[in-house]
Amino acid sequence: MICKKIVELLPRFIENDFSKEEYAEIARHLEECERCKKEYEAMKKLIDRLETMPLLNVPKSFKESVMKSLKDLKDKNDG
Amino acid sequence: MKQQEFLTDIEIVEKVKKGDKDSFSLLVERYQKGLINLLFPLLRNYEEAIELCQEVFLKVYSHLDQYDSHYKFSTWIYRIANNLAIDHLRKGTPKIDSIDEKDEDEESKIEIESNDLSPQERLEKKIMEKEILTAISSLDTLSRELIILRHIHFRSYEEMAKITNLPVGTVKNKIFRARKELMKKLEKVK
Repeated sequence: MICKKIVELLPRFIENDFSKEEYAEIARHLEECERCKKEYEAMKKLIDRLETMPLLNVPKSFKESVMKSLKDLKDKNDG
Repeated sequence: MKQQEFLTDIEIVEKVKKGDKDSFSLLVERYQKGLINLLFPLLRNYEEAIELCQEVFLKVYSHLDQYDSHYKFSTWIYRIANNLAIDHLRKGTPKIDSIDEKDEDEESKIEIESNDLSPQERLEKKIMEKEILTAISSLDTLSRELIILRHIHFRSYEEMAKITNLPVGTVKNKIFRARKELMKKLEKVK
């Protein structure tokens, strides 16, 4: 029962979204419970992976293309 | 006079509003990469992400007088991009890129990674990234948006709330749930 509750609280725990006392209580449980610790580590790993995903590059001509469209739009509105 | 690259977003907006239209290219330069990396995982199609990104800049430009400089410019532009992406998704059937089939093509679009990894490690990393992208793609639109904004764009909860027009508490609850769902999906892959 405690484990179920702890697992529910893990996302907030990872983001340090608790008071010092609450945080310490969950940390104590994680030190003692192998299953919850595994769950915690898996969640941390997922976040690390998400946050190191490579970014897509922008086509070289993108900026010029946007500026050309803006000019066309302006010409259309003026004309 | 301040060098262009050191101008704040708000200073650039002011210049554009005063008639220096070319300065808008500075904003395009600053936000193009961020926006494409917001739109691509949402739309799951690179070409559509590029087209929509262009539309975002056109909309930003033509609505610049509505921008309230009390708010961060980045929040405003992300909000516009987010709304356009949702409209786009509502309108039609998404043309989803097959992540597996686009390997070679995809290479040129992705940033060159560090060479610290061995070929085996690079391959494993690539497979894992594909699995994560596929798992993100299978989430509902809001969960997808939140995961992308938080973990790929490192936005604060307050900013995410403004971008998605939801209360901060709802954003937190939804993203916590989305993360759990993502974990479950990735568990199934293994």
